[in-house]
Amino acid sequence: MAYSVKLSDYLDGDEDSVILEFESDSEIDELGEVDEDSSHSYSEVNEFSDGPSDKKDTGGSRYLDADQKKPSWGRGLTEMAYESSGVPKLAYSCLTTDQMFDLILARLERIQPIFEISYGDIIVMLQKYGWSEERLLEDWTEDQERVLVSCGLKLATSSNRSRGIQDHSDFVCNICCESNKQRTFRLECGHEYCIECYKHYIKDKLLEGKIISCMSCSLALKNPDIDAIVGDNSSQTLMRSSIKGFIHKHNNHYKWCPFVDCNCVIQVTNISALSEFPRFHLSPFVVCNNHHRFCFKCGLESHAPGDCQVAEVWVKMAQLESANLNWVLKNTKECPKCGVNIEKNGGCNHMTCQSCEYEFCWICELPWEGHGGGFFECTRFSKDEKNGATETKNSLRKYTFYYKLFSEHENSSKLDWALGLAVEQKVRALQENIGISWIETQFLPESIRSLIEGRTTLKWSFPVAFYSDPSHNLTKIFVDNQALLVSAVEDLSQLLQVKDPHDIIARKLEFYNKARFVQSRNRALSECGRDLLCKRICVPRG
Amino acid sequence: MSLKRITKELNDLGRDPPTSCSAGPVGDDLYHWQASIMGPPDSPYAGGVFFLSIHFPTDYPFKPPKISFTTKIYHPNINANGNICLDILKDQWSPALTISKVLLSICSLLTDANPDDPLVPEIAHIYKTDRAKYEATAKEWTKKYAV
Repeated sequence: MAYSVKLSDYLDGDEDSVILEFESDSEIDELGEVDEDSSHSYSEVNEFSDGPSDKKDTGGSRYLDADQKKPSWGRGLTEMAYESSGVPKLAYSCLTTDQMFDLILARLERIQPIFEISYGDIIVMLQKYGWSEERLLEDWTEDQERVLVSCGLKLATSSNRSRGIQDHSDFVCNICCESNKQRTFRLECGHEYCIECYKHYIKDKLLEGKIISCMSCSLALKNPDIDAIVGDNSSQTLMRSSIKGFIHKHNNHYKWCPFVDCNCVIQVTNISALSEFPRFHLSPFVVCNNHHRFCFKCGLESHAPGDCQVAEVWVKMAQLESANLNWVLKNTKECPKCGVNIEKNGGCNHMTCQSCEYEFCWICELPWEGHGGGFFECTRFSKDEKNGATETKNSLRKYTFYYKLFSEHENSSKLDWALGLAVEQKVRALQENIGISWIETQFLPESIRSLIEGRTTLKWSFPVAFYSDPSHNLTKIFVDNQALLVSAVEDLSQLLQVKDPHDIIARKLEFYNKARFVQSRNRALSECGRDLLCKRICVPRG
Repeated sequence: MSLKRITKELNDLGRDPPTSCSAGPVGDDLYHWQASIMGPPDSPYAGGVFFLSIHFPTDYPFKPPKISFTTKIYHPNINANGNICLDILKDQWSPALTISKVLLSICSLLTDANPDDPLVPEIAHIYKTDRAKYEATAKEWTKKYAV
């Protein structure tokens, strides 16, 4: 059938990045030509190339930076970019906060000659103007004096008070209410407070990246004031923090990576392409330097095979329903055989009861036997279970079923991140104990990356399955593909539990093959899901 | 350091109490105060006395005090838990502000609600579309809970 032919097409791709890390075992690319007669919209998609790394300025350094700073297992699958046949391709680069600041400085450099005041002061003005250079320039050419006053860079009325640190013998500070203060600070406004209070006040605000003004009025502190008070070059910290406001204002072009504690900024250079994605039921996924993959449009993690609409409707629904369902999704499950409570503390779904040694699948709670290979019954919602219940109850049950699967895989992927850290240690142990070179251990991070990405796709495939017409043939194919990916992911997850370093090295090829298999299943499922959306078999509705 | 400042504010309140407001510690703990506000005469809250609880953070005055109504009040910027949506209690807080100034700000919030930045959208909607109904409900609540 046409579809199974298509699947082989998805086995190609991402060799760009692989070559960086492997001495290339058998590449399984270039297996298939695109079906010429296929009307599937993905038949137009015949090329997967490495999106971000083909940008000259970021390609090499991107990998280098990440390897030096962050666990290398977190790196993403290479970007799928459909540049031919008019399918959109997002041009983007990932910036560190330092690079982001340099970018702002470059912009300032361009406009500085107009103002002829310091960068710090221009940043203050831009912050006041919500980073709109146009509006600022307009007002500036009209009335410089008024702009300076409104931005707190100058007093409205002239004052003969001196600005800066003052010395006293007995000053009572109105903030801390202590007397006998020797050193104080004030601006021309005359609101004077002790240097300790000012220091405390400024230190609290440095990371907010907003204008720091006098504690009593809107006169702004300039960089030299801040440095004089704190006693170091803290104003640089403030200037760097100001990129938050800049990104917020220019959030069409720039977005923070939504992952916790990740400071990467993604800059998209062809934002006009963004509007093209929905038409193809594609999402503009980007991968940051720390290999977090997220959607540039909605800011969620990678939600393939669903598009942004599926993700949005699903998330909204989950918020509404989660209160009802929370109790269903307890952290523990009873062993199907002996009934003892079991908590899942590892990524693999192959559970072995500690008390009765019964082996079962965490998801469907059926015996593990028969799960190893082919199909998984546990990705199918069985219609037989309905037996005459009302329509609403059924839809809720159907939703509960899929939501449960969704959150099972969400929890599993959280555990996979923990597993990733363990793998990181294994890699280090391999290097130190057996004396294997860094490059030879890279199959481990590569495997964990494939596992996490596979799990994420799996997770988001349940919303797609939920919104799809269950009677359609393509939905059945989709569910089969889901089952294949589940089995591939579980296989890999289990392999990654291997602890003995020698054993790991001996099974290198197995790791590699299983990871590649997960990747290809992942792509197949993503494309199949997109096909469901394109053919309107999957229609998300709230 | 915060204790000295809180003590000074307490003394200042005693020496020069602001009109229509009062505040002081609940027990021995100087970090926990109770305050009361008289409903402003030109508002539907006139005649009511509203109680508030004030908790000072340990790094007061660099962090704003936590203030909430303990008396139920019908207002677009105050929710059922008594939480107040007021900029100076959040990002616009300045160490130079005092409890006395904050209470006066809350008084003026009672007179002039800010329906464009509501904490309770339903009340804000009524405030904007049917002012008479809003005032009637607010008066009713005042009579019921604050007199």
